[in-house]
Amino acid sequence: MAVPQKKDPLDRLFMIVTATAAISVIVILTGIFVVLLSESSLAISRFGFFRFLASTDWNPVTESFGAATAVFGTIVTTLIALLIAVPTAVGIAVFVTEIAPDFLKGPIGIAIELLAAIPSIIYGMWGLFTLAPLMAQHVEPFLQRTFGDLPIVGALFQGTPMGIDIFSASVILSIMIIPFTASIARDSFNLTPAVVKESAYGIGATKWEVVKSVVLPYSKLGVFGGVVLSLGRALGETMAVAFVLGNNHVITASLFDAASTITVTLANEFTEADSDIYLSSLFYLALVLFLLSFIILAIAKFVLLRAEKRYSR
Amino acid sequence: MKIKIFGLVLALLTALVPLQTADAAETLNGAGASFPYPLYSAWAYAYQKATGVRVNYQSIGSGGGQRQIVERTVDFGASDDPVAPAQLKKDTLLQFPAVIGAITPVVNLPGVKDGQLRLDAEALCRIFLGEIKRWDDARLTAMNPGLKLPGKEITVIHRADGSGTTAIFTHYLSETCNAWKTKTGEGKAVQWPAGIGGKGNEGVANYVKRTSHSIGYVEFAYAKQNKLASVSLKNRAGNFVEPSFASFENAAETAGFDANKDFHAWLTNAPGKNAWPIAGATFILLAKEKIDVNKKTIQFFDWAFEQGDDTARKLVYVPLPPALKNKIRAYWKSKGLSP
Amino acid sequence: MTREQKRKIENIAALSLSSLAAAFGLFWLVFILGDVLVHGIGALTPELFLNDPAPPGIEGGGLRHAFLGQIMITFFATLIGVPVGVLGGTYLAEYARGTKLARVIGILADIMVSVPSIVIGTFIYALLVRPLGHFSGWAGSVALAVIMIPVVLRTTEDMLSLVPWTLREAAFALGAPHYKVIVQVVYRGAATGILTGVLLSIARVAGETAPLLFTSFNNNFFSTDMNGPMASLTVAVFQYAMGPFEEWHAQAWAASLIITLFILTVTIAGRAIVRWRYKS
Repeated sequence: MAVPQKKDPLDRLFMIVTATAAISVIVILTGIFVVLLSESSLAISRFGFFRFLASTDWNPVTESFGAATAVFGTIVTTLIALLIAVPTAVGIAVFVTEIAPDFLKGPIGIAIELLAAIPSIIYGMWGLFTLAPLMAQHVEPFLQRTFGDLPIVGALFQGTPMGIDIFSASVILSIMIIPFTASIARDSFNLTPAVVKESAYGIGATKWEVVKSVVLPYSKLGVFGGVVLSLGRALGETMAVAFVLGNNHVITASLFDAASTITVTLANEFTEADSDIYLSSLFYLALVLFLLSFIILAIAKFVLLRAEKRYSR
Repeated sequence: MKIKIFGLVLALLTALVPLQTADAAETLNGAGASFPYPLYSAWAYAYQKATGVRVNYQSIGSGGGQRQIVERTVDFGASDDPVAPAQLKKDTLLQFPAVIGAITPVVNLPGVKDGQLRLDAEALCRIFLGEIKRWDDARLTAMNPGLKLPGKEITVIHRADGSGTTAIFTHYLSETCNAWKTKTGEGKAVQWPAGIGGKGNEGVANYVKRTSHSIGYVEFAYAKQNKLASVSLKNRAGNFVEPSFASFENAAETAGFDANKDFHAWLTNAPGKNAWPIAGATFILLAKEKIDVNKKTIQFFDWAFEQGDDTARKLVYVPLPPALKNKIRAYWKSKGLSP
Repeated sequence: MTREQKRKIENIAALSLSSLAAAFGLFWLVFILGDVLVHGIGALTPELFLNDPAPPGIEGGGLRHAFLGQIMITFFATLIGVPVGVLGGTYLAEYARGTKLARVIGILADIMVSVPSIVIGTFIYALLVRPLGHFSGWAGSVALAVIMIPVVLRTTEDMLSLVPWTLREAAFALGAPHYKVIVQVVYRGAATGILTGVLLSIARVAGETAPLLFTSFNNNFFSTDMNGPMASLTVAVFQYAMGPFEEWHAQAWAASLIITLFILTVTIAGRAIVRWRYKS
């Protein structure tokens, strides 16, 4: 790659300007970390790190704060959402790439991408007005009747079905990330070379066998990347869950109880916190969320890069 | 090309500057309690029509009102949770009441109409503690012989944000119910033993409306505007009273507001015969050093004291008595502010 | 059962399952869009666009202030975010191509795309709102710009990398300095791709609510003052949908419909440009 060595002063200037813009990414990320860290220093010195994470207190009266309830809500809603969304999304991707007749592939593909663009607040509002009543009147009583009396599993379905609970929030979250995950999965599926697929069909493989033994192994990295991105989205999502989670700082076994996530706690309480330690604890929660999503994404990136290297070799 | 765009941006920015200063002069930004929001927004609507000055009041919660004025991010804060004089001094704030209102428990019980359900402080306390779990609990049915209470679980709805409504409500519960005092305590935000949380009076009203067999607590204007069923409460004199303008006024009569204490006062559990037990004043907080802004703010409230009583009554808030208004005007003057 | 039959059954079962999954996914999405459409259209009135809000209980309130606020906040976010993103992407693709620094920044940008938007809101609150002493439209724009930068940066980098390096070498051979080659040759080649990236990033931030809650805050009045609190459609939807008043709910649906239509239009435009450019 030959670049002229003779440096024009204007070229130097342009390079410096662009370099500054590029480095702004590092500056902003570091800035977020430093600002959150310094804002939460009061809470850090008061509650420590592991004690803060382990404490289920969220008590503004006694000024004792812990992250456990919010972290619990964040992780549980995210996991349930992924549990619903990932299989559905992969199913959609299989449908779009392998099953659907050609004239449907384009439109469905576009529909999925458009749906991925709908802002989360729409999902949240729809959840409150339409989904929550449906949940409260039909879905949750049904689940409770069906599973409520079983040992162990039954504990998940206790309480009054109100539609404003962990279950509704997770379902909305999953509906929100389905199109997003599906569109990435589809793109990865499409990367499978047609020749390989054709030859598999040629030796008499069924569609499912082609998907299972050719497409999925070929695209598993891409799908993994997509799942991680969806995970990141679900972890940091505020509005889709804020309407229907019920905002209660508890750790509960039942999916029909209200709970709280880090994001929802921030949305409700951030401008409200009256004491310094309260505000500092909220910044601390934001820091925990920032680190959580940073670490998960960094690990995923690392895995993907390693794998890519291995593949390209 | 890039340079052109940059120039365009600069030109646009400079073009906006005069616009901004002209605009800023006419706007007052306030934030805080959702309790008086229906009233303040109605006052602001009329005030803008009358004077052109915009009072942008955002209902975020009393905790937010206190926090944001302490941070000086708004021109005035509003809180239903009176701030103690010592704290005001520490944060260099001024405080005065603007109007009196009341909090009412509201229920969504099929077949139970406004004012029909009777509760005393003890029952209310046990419900919000999560100890009375069902509507057909003996402690409730005994008080309501005429009502058929359903055998359903109670869904408690409380506030999720820092709230003066919560402060008044929990102050009342702590005052009247020992178990509440020791287990939960009082404040703008507390660790709720049970239930789901809504954001603002708006959120609680919305959740109660949408959830059957629920009970929540809201400022009375929210109950009225949303046609939620209030309850009758047993007051200190031992009478069951319904929330009404008369019972709020009766509670307000006995309040002792003292300018030397920056009007710090609670109106809960008032002794009057017909007094509604969960009444409270809502307060305005000013940053002491921002004299110019404060003058504009008190001009608005002075106008509201003169012109806004009817609007207040229409929304079932109790306007401050004339004597108290004069005390507040004197308080402004003593702080170097006059409308 | 023969092996052949078993394979067939397995095939049919798996394919039906994925068709079902597709139907399940699409069902919800059609449901949501249909709901927004039905409720939203019913609530579209001229007052919605022409009036500012009235207090609860008074007829005829609108969201004019929020439309304007949303447009201004998004516009200035674009003005801040796009140049930084495009220039940054340029650096990675042109000056730092293949270097370790470019790789690291690329990875960090990917991570930054996934930083929860509400965390960015708290960051800007600590950085711009509290020190300056007021909530402001600017703070909202900066928060959105922070979300835009990595998106635009990555697309720009990708798009510039698609322009064949030989094109640049031809220009270098004529003695043109690198910056001239970038501006006059490379940008021209990648313009549509970058434009698509910009459009998609606008679509992404126009629907953001969480980062605006603590930055641009909200305003009940029509205001063009970027130094003061400013209304936005998304925050208005949050406030109105959470609230108990029927007329608020109707307006929230209408506002949702408009946000959705806007974002879908921008997204479709972005896709159409790509298709138009790279098909021919």
